[in-house]
Amino acid sequence: MPDAAPDPVYHAPPAATLLRTPLDLLDAIYDRRSGLTHLVGEPVPAILDALAAGPASAADLMQRLADDYAIEGELAALRARLAELAALGLVDARAL
Amino acid sequence: MSDHQDPSANSAQSPAASRRRVLQLGAIGAATVISVRPALAQTAVSVMTCEIPVPDPSRASQYVAADGSLVAPGTPGAVPGAAMPFKGEDVRNVMTHGGRLPGTTAEQNEAYVNYIRRLRSGTGGFTCFASIQMPR
Amino acid sequence: MRHGLTLKIGPAAFRVGSDWRAPIADLRTLYADYPPAPDGFADFTVRLEAKRPWRRFVRPSVHLGGDYMLPDALPLSLAHGLLAAEMGMNLQMALGWRRHLLIHASAVEKDGRALILTGESGSGKSTLAAMLGERGWRLLGDEFTLLDLDSDSVRGFPRLVSLKNAGIAAVEAVADAARFGPRLEATPKGAIRHLVPRADAIARMDEPAAPALLLYPRYGFDAATRRLAKSENFMRLTQASTNYVALGERGFGTLSRFVESVPALALDYSDGEAGIAEVERLWTEHVG
Repeated sequence: MPDAAPDPVYHAPPAATLLRTPLDLLDAIYDRRSGLTHLVGEPVPAILDALAAGPASAADLMQRLADDYAIEGELAALRARLAELAALGLVDARAL
Repeated sequence: MSDHQDPSANSAQSPAASRRRVLQLGAIGAATVISVRPALAQTAVSVMTCEIPVPDPSRASQYVAADGSLVAPGTPGAVPGAAMPFKGEDVRNVMTHGGRLPGTTAEQNEAYVNYIRRLRSGTGGFTCFASIQMPR
Repeated sequence: MRHGLTLKIGPAAFRVGSDWRAPIADLRTLYADYPPAPDGFADFTVRLEAKRPWRRFVRPSVHLGGDYMLPDALPLSLAHGLLAAEMGMNLQMALGWRRHLLIHASAVEKDGRALILTGESGSGKSTLAAMLGERGWRLLGDEFTLLDLDSDSVRGFPRLVSLKNAGIAAVEAVADAARFGPRLEATPKGAIRHLVPRADAIARMDEPAAPALLLYPRYGFDAATRRLAKSENFMRLTQASTNYVALGERGFGTLSRFVESVPALALDYSDGEAGIAEVERLWTEHVG
């Protein structure tokens, strides 16, 4: 039985790539690499903070977040958030 | 189902654990990021017809792969660059409503649109791309 | 170009060239109290051109050109030449100015602090600014509000105030007739009449002000006022700025600080006088 493709590992961009301004329910983020500005809602700031500690797969990130938060939502939702962030270039998805 | 896993490593901290802030992961189909699209605001007389060359003139000899990256000429699955730059308005229409860039085959259109999506500051056409107002 | 002049308004200097005398004559009259470009050096050039030499005389049609242009811009009739010149200057700023963060907004100053009014065409921001200018406020600008990228202050850019339709009569009732340009009928935005800012607004155009209150007026709606959340304000301002994206990181910083420190309210009103009264009341309440 062939293995499923391994989960991607998500990397936060290098330090100081993203400038953040917390507003209210949303943070404003400026990405120096793309020159784009994004307004991001929960749980994105928590995800970015958690990835700053080091790269993680979705499952590892779920564990890391669970250390600090009472999580409401499934792993599939976290995968969707990470895919959204990767599509926008806010995190990098790699094989390792 | 996984909400209440309680790693034994944390059991010594359980009083703090029970006071953890809630973190909502959101619905799978939801978008939690709104990207700012540039606007020409109300001072514009009409829609900007700036142009986007595909590819950037400094790399005009390269081919465009289906995912929009630039590759060596003749690479299988890649197409040559467009002969003429595309108008900003045409690019906006395709990205908002679908369809094809003028004068392109389906294969060329996919490659060119992905190339444009990947434009970064400093590349020819980026300012034009950034200034196209695209409603979400 | 046979006819031309230079103008300095706040930090920006323009050269306007024209194939026809009349629009330049109008500008010379209305901007009489403004300085020329220093040493003749202009940041931008605006050109009012005939497409063909004989079109200066036969069905004259003014094509707008300049350092920055929209190639698809519709030409205007010669009767609207003054409007073409003003639109040309707007386009140069909107497309080419990088020294400040530009917000599509009018602004007035009192006691060194700025009240900024932002909104779409028809919101009433120009009429409100003109009316406040006649009631003890100093006009900082009509079409654009300029935010300094480092000090966050508002820099004056007091061009002619562009009054439209119902706003024209409201301001004609309170401002000296000598300060108005010609009434232009049937422009793409309806009837337009330009108002020259008061003498002290022109004389003090280089005096900045600290932004203190941001309002989103909407004329023609039942009276209502509500506070805007910072995230809504931030997003709306990125759409009200023509150069936010081009300014990159500095624009992000300036806008972030602005949104964090300047309260923002949406103000709906259906009566001009009541609108003005509410603006003054909100200023007292939020700024003191």
